[in-house]
Amino acid sequence: MTSYLELSNITKAYGNFTALDNVSLSVEKGEFVTFLGPSGSGKTTTLMIVAGFEKASGGSVRVGGRSISELAPHERNIGIVFQNYALFPHKTAAENVYFPLQMRGVNRAKGLRQAEDMLSLVGLKGFGHRHPKELSGGQQQRVALARALVFEPSLLLLDEPLGALDKNLREQMQIEIKRIQRSLGVTTIFVTHDQSEAMSMSDRIVVFDKGRIEQCAAPLDIYHSPQTSFVASFIGESNLIPATVTNAAARIANSPVLGSFDYAGSDNALADGQEVTLLIRPEHIKLSRNPIEDRKSARMTVETIVNYGDNALVIGRAGDIPMRVRVLGADVVIIKEGEECCISWTPDSVFVITR
Amino acid sequence: MNTFKRWAGILVTVFIAAPLVIVVPMSFSSASSLQFPPPGYWLGYYRAYFTDLDWLIPTWNSIVIASATTLLTMLLVVPATFALVRHKFRGKGVADLMMLMPLAVPHIVMAVGYYSYLGDLGLVHSHMGVILAHTCLSVPIAFLVLSANLKGFDRNLERAALSLGASPTKTFIHITLPILRPGLIISALFAFIQSFDETVVAIFISGRDAETLPRKMFDSIRQEADPVIAVISTLLFFLVLVGIATPYFISTLRSRAPTPSRSPAGAH
Ligand SMILES: Nc1ncnc2c1ncn2[C@@H]1O[C@H](COP(=O)(O)OP(=O)(O)OP(=O)(O)O)[C@@H](O)[C@H]1O
Ligand SMILES: [Mg+2]
Repeated sequence: MTSYLELSNITKAYGNFTALDNVSLSVEKGEFVTFLGPSGSGKTTTLMIVAGFEKASGGSVRVGGRSISELAPHERNIGIVFQNYALFPHKTAAENVYFPLQMRGVNRAKGLRQAEDMLSLVGLKGFGHRHPKELSGGQQQRVALARALVFEPSLLLLDEPLGALDKNLREQMQIEIKRIQRSLGVTTIFVTHDQSEAMSMSDRIVVFDKGRIEQCAAPLDIYHSPQTSFVASFIGESNLIPATVTNAAARIANSPVLGSFDYAGSDNALADGQEVTLLIRPEHIKLSRNPIEDRKSARMTVETIVNYGDNALVIGRAGDIPMRVRVLGADVVIIKEGEECCISWTPDSVFVITR
Repeated sequence: MNTFKRWAGILVTVFIAAPLVIVVPMSFSSASSLQFPPPGYWLGYYRAYFTDLDWLIPTWNSIVIASATTLLTMLLVVPATFALVRHKFRGKGVADLMMLMPLAVPHIVMAVGYYSYLGDLGLVHSHMGVILAHTCLSVPIAFLVLSANLKGFDRNLERAALSLGASPTKTFIHITLPILRPGLIISALFAFIQSFDETVVAIFISGRDAETLPRKMFDSIRQEADPVIAVISTLLFFLVLVGIATPYFISTLRSRAPTPSRSPAGAH
């Protein structure tokens, strides 16, 4: 199977520093892929290599089966939305959107009409005559999006486009961007710090850390079957318990602190004696006064309770392992900070991470 | 304390404004040399200035020299600023220093240097010589203004233009230049004023053939204190006033002009 966008073994070195280490990725036509990772993990660098603003030290980029590594940025037909929008301050919104058409030789009258159509699509009908400084952050964002889409780019790259917006506007723009992306079917790479944004928008999430791709999978797979402890701890909240596989056939592992574990939740091929990390999500743990039958249980000392109203996060320790438990708001009344209580879970909520 | 500050403020203002208060009435004076307060008023020295070739030729020389200096300065400074602001290369620190050097060296030192150097080249007493010397003095000023502008320029704008299909040349023409235009204009204006105003170097090297207006004024004040000097000072003062006020008026007029606002639809 050939994919639409293909990054193979991209490396990027700045002097001695390796910013990207063997990054390979395939993206299908029309797919919405999100790059997620901590600051400095190489997301922007990857994007800039695809856009042609940075030159990779090794590897190749192909779009639609053709290598674009030798093309200059302006020959690549890629739409980009920058975090600060980068709207041209001396042009009106409509002229900004017309610019890529102008560069492609479309005459002014026709191009401006097309620009106005695109502005309506992003919800800015009638704003074409305004200059960027006369628009709000969200509106500027929409203009930047319209400008990056109007020339039917082969790829759309968005580098933290929502970073500068407040929470409400962010959520609104997430839905908008997704709607527009679907209606145009444009293959999209979206960079963000924000995991809930990545979860809600993406067909697939690529998790970056230290210049490598840690995992690339659908949002729910990333959440439920993280391949590395980094992914497990970066996406959502997690309890990570070091353990040794004692009986791979029976799916049993042993933690020095918490004792013997059933890990029905994983289908990784494991060997006896293998060192692993067990993942249990906080919402899969139950809090009670006494052990509950049919559930693996342990004792936990409660240190802090963070109440969010409809739910609460209970933070404590089981032996020397820090544990987090998410409980419904009503259930939290049974315990107090400093008390000892019982935490329990079922085998199918235990996921094994081998790296 | 507050009254002290107010009086200090008034005093400083008066001190700065005093030359203007004196020069403007003196230009209408009927006295035969610079004299304050004027014994009577007439427009004779204005007529004298606009009809006397001894004054008009230096004026024309100054305009030609300042224009040529501006052109030459910008031709040198624009590429140099881009190189020095945007690129890292060996010897950049030295190049930076060389650009700004003429600003630190006293004009009189520069003037003596130019006198002997341009003399060897046979360029003393020529327009070309003054233009070259003035260009050296204008380059650092224009460079300072333009580099401040260029440092504040968001390079993502250029990247955006490239990604939208503009070649590097088109990006420069359609995006970089228009956005830098105010900086370019101001930097050219400073280059022009520097040359138009420059006296020390002009006295040393302009000679009779390329005599500039400030030099002519200086000679005149030493010999006869011709009140035409007051006329020229007044004219220059109002020219500068108009130059400063025009952009301000344009911008207030623009902001007052009703902007066509349509009803916001579908956005917030
Ligand atoms: N021009 C450069 N010279 C040297 N190092 C660089 C350069 N550009 C980026 N880096 C380094 O490469 C690494 C990856 O940077 P990149 O901008 O791709 O991170 P990022 O994942 O986009 O981070 P953020 O989320 O903060 O934007 C960083 O450690 C950064 O310091
Ligand atoms: Mg980045």
